[in-house]
Amino acid sequence: MTGYVLRRLLQAIPLLIIVSVVIFVLLQSAGDPLAIMGGRVPPRPDDRERLRRQLGLDQPMLTQYLYWLIGNDWTLVDRDGDGTADTPGVRRGVLRGDFGQSIVTNQPAIDIVLSRIPNTLILSVSSQMVIIVAGLGLGLLSALRQYSRLDNALTTLTFIGFSMPIFLIAVGFMYIFAVKFREWGLPYFPTSGMFDPREGPTVAQVAWHLILPMMSIAIISVARYSRYIRSTMLETINSDYIRTARAKGLSERGILYHHAFKNAALPIVTLIGLDLPGLLAGAVVTESIFAWPGMGLLFLEHLSRLDYAVLMAILLMITVAVIVFQLLTDLTYTWLDPRIRYA
Amino acid sequence: MLGKRFCLVWVVLAALGGIFGPVTAQGRSIITIDFQQELDTLNPLYTGMWFMTTAADMYLSPPWYIDDTLTPVPALVTEIPSAANGLISEDNRSITLKLRDDIVWSDGEPITADDFVFTYEMLVSPNNAPDTRYPYDEKIESVVAADERTVVVTYTEPFAPWLTNTFHDFPPIPAHILRPVFEAEGTIDNAAWNRAADVVSGPFKPVEWVAGSHIAFERNENYWGEPAKFDGVFMRFVPEDATVVASLVSGDTDVGTFIAYSDTPALEDAGVNIELVNSGYNEGWFLNFDPETANPAMLDVNVRKAIVLAFDRDKFNQDINLGKTYTPASFWEGTPYKDPDSAPLPYDPDMANQLLDEAGWVDSNGDGVRDKDGVELVLRHITNQRQIRKDLQVIAQQQLAEVGIKLEIENYDSNIFFGGYADDAPMAKGRFDIAELSDVGDFPDPNVSRFLCSQIPSEDNPSGYNDQHYCNEQVDALFTEQAQTVDFDKRVELFHEIDRLMNADIAWAGIWYDPDLWAINSRISNTRVSGADPLWNIAGWEVSG
Repeated sequence: MTGYVLRRLLQAIPLLIIVSVVIFVLLQSAGDPLAIMGGRVPPRPDDRERLRRQLGLDQPMLTQYLYWLIGNDWTLVDRDGDGTADTPGVRRGVLRGDFGQSIVTNQPAIDIVLSRIPNTLILSVSSQMVIIVAGLGLGLLSALRQYSRLDNALTTLTFIGFSMPIFLIAVGFMYIFAVKFREWGLPYFPTSGMFDPREGPTVAQVAWHLILPMMSIAIISVARYSRYIRSTMLETINSDYIRTARAKGLSERGILYHHAFKNAALPIVTLIGLDLPGLLAGAVVTESIFAWPGMGLLFLEHLSRLDYAVLMAILLMITVAVIVFQLLTDLTYTWLDPRIRYA
Repeated sequence: MLGKRFCLVWVVLAALGGIFGPVTAQGRSIITIDFQQELDTLNPLYTGMWFMTTAADMYLSPPWYIDDTLTPVPALVTEIPSAANGLISEDNRSITLKLRDDIVWSDGEPITADDFVFTYEMLVSPNNAPDTRYPYDEKIESVVAADERTVVVTYTEPFAPWLTNTFHDFPPIPAHILRPVFEAEGTIDNAAWNRAADVVSGPFKPVEWVAGSHIAFERNENYWGEPAKFDGVFMRFVPEDATVVASLVSGDTDVGTFIAYSDTPALEDAGVNIELVNSGYNEGWFLNFDPETANPAMLDVNVRKAIVLAFDRDKFNQDINLGKTYTPASFWEGTPYKDPDSAPLPYDPDMANQLLDEAGWVDSNGDGVRDKDGVELVLRHITNQRQIRKDLQVIAQQQLAEVGIKLEIENYDSNIFFGGYADDAPMAKGRFDIAELSDVGDFPDPNVSRFLCSQIPSEDNPSGYNDQHYCNEQVDALFTEQAQTVDFDKRVELFHEIDRLMNADIAWAGIWYDPDLWAINSRISNTRVSGADPLWNIAGWEVSG
């Protein structure tokens, strides 16, 4: 098993390099970050040229990638933007833990990314918990009451939830539970942010501000999870070994929870394993609508400014998360199904 | 059963709302402002971002503010320099700033001429990477502290736009804080003050910046002017316009900006005040004059006129902009520099047809599109992804088709649309016949360089501004003259002449006068939002409730 894990981790290294090259080339091809640096008035062309040199954006793409990967402290750079490379570089490169500086805020890219992870985890982990609990509950209920009124109602609701765009759900929630409820004199939720400035960032405030974005995310995924669970549970409870267990007189509860559910869980684990890296990536649309300062919003903000260093840091971190969580998912299979072995 | 459970859940949530909901103010009066973009720095040297320069009004005092009537109001100086008070030299090359005696930084240190000199030095230092050095690198010869309270700025030649370009754009930064950083690190690019400006000169002081979320400002108790009438400002970063509007309607926020005209009825119904603030911007069509890249029809002034006549701009403003704005006649609409006799061309498709016929553009092959010498009258209209511009493109496409002009519409992300010549950007490389955007000069100063012949971009001049290749030597001479004409009345006359000539050339066609829309909760009064310094009098805002 240890050998398997080590092999998977070693295989991840070339994968990471390939992914980083692809992302770097795509981002570099997306436009000129200096064109929009000035906000409403694009910067003066002379300043744009100077900044291009000072920020190293005038270098060929391969050189920029090398600087990003291994740093530029071994060569001279054009620090003053006069067209002559005459100052030693200071970047150490990703391989030595330096993800570069944001061209928007002048801060280390990794610091910017790390500062947003807790906010994203608050939203995504709580949403994921709601998704798993509600998805499992509704999926099981639906499977055990197949073709009943309840099953039909849940099926209809899940299809509605599944087919609604997240933007619509989020804005709809905001208008109903924040704007209209206030207008009608009912207790209302806040529209955006993580806390009320007059109250401060207390646990209660954050929890209260969390509800609408969390529910917006959960609605769609609960629908998805419950359909998967219903389907895999139905397949399992109709299989021969469950019939045999029933024939042997085992209790229905025991059959369902000890035999059926554990076997039905394998595809669900795959689903959760695929979703877990997304917890770090954040929810771009939801965070944006509710102004929740997480990774999704960070990505959107820096994508609109083409801030390569921050975007690369985010995307690389998500890639690492995908690799790690996929490995963990594979290892979980062996626990759920002892027949599975990795060598 | 489910209904009962849902009700139960809602009761619990409602109870939580009662406990945690935003009800109490804990005795502090705080104004919440929503900005769609997060500030990138607190140091004005490192950004041209509108939100940042607007926020800077709160914590950095310039020598003068420009108020809501576009009149300069002394701040750090005792009076606005003029020839009459002798603070502008006879040769118009030197301007003297006389500083007040009582101005101090928030830590109690006096604000002196040295702070101005230091700010200038940081702007032009090759060790720093400011967003722009203009005009300090090319128009200013020196900035000297004649004494502790006197700053003398000398220009290379008379510089008419001095009012908006002499420490008004870059208010002084604290030398006693940042000079040691510069001496130690050789640059202030990464100074801690840039994100934690704990020593400031304005009525408020930033005390907390939570990335992606907000900046909290508290009243500067050491402010040299009248202290602010409320305790603080909570500036939230809310990227979605729909959320800003919902927050304003629900009362979660007090102030929002860049409101769409279509949202104003809902806000007004909710009792939110809407202020239309002249910011100098005008949405317009920049027509391509480049014989190498434009459709040959664009080189004929009568065709350009026909294009404008064929699009009903007034109806667009009535229907889409809800009649809240109007068709501008001038690039300098809303300022004294607009030619008072100018008027926008009317919607007149008959006249457009006549002009096109006379110009020889007729539909000879019966395909519904006019042509001449084998060239079809197909024009490329390009702009960015802003929704209202996309809407306009579709309407213009239909209306121009009625006079036999086919409009091909293209949209680009802003980083591509506003890209430079070296980036092969569509506008800079002339891959358009009509480019639509909103632009302004050094507002409220009218100076602008995008119409100069010398600014035409090329391989030899890739940094040129003049994407439309408009070149009229008479206009060029007038622009050169106005830039050195410090006398206001004389300069106004020069601009009236420029305006007349440009309108005759149909170099630019206004679509809508584009003021900034501010939405302000009715609990706030005495807001005098200015298009140049929006929050210039925020210390005087009054909050009730």
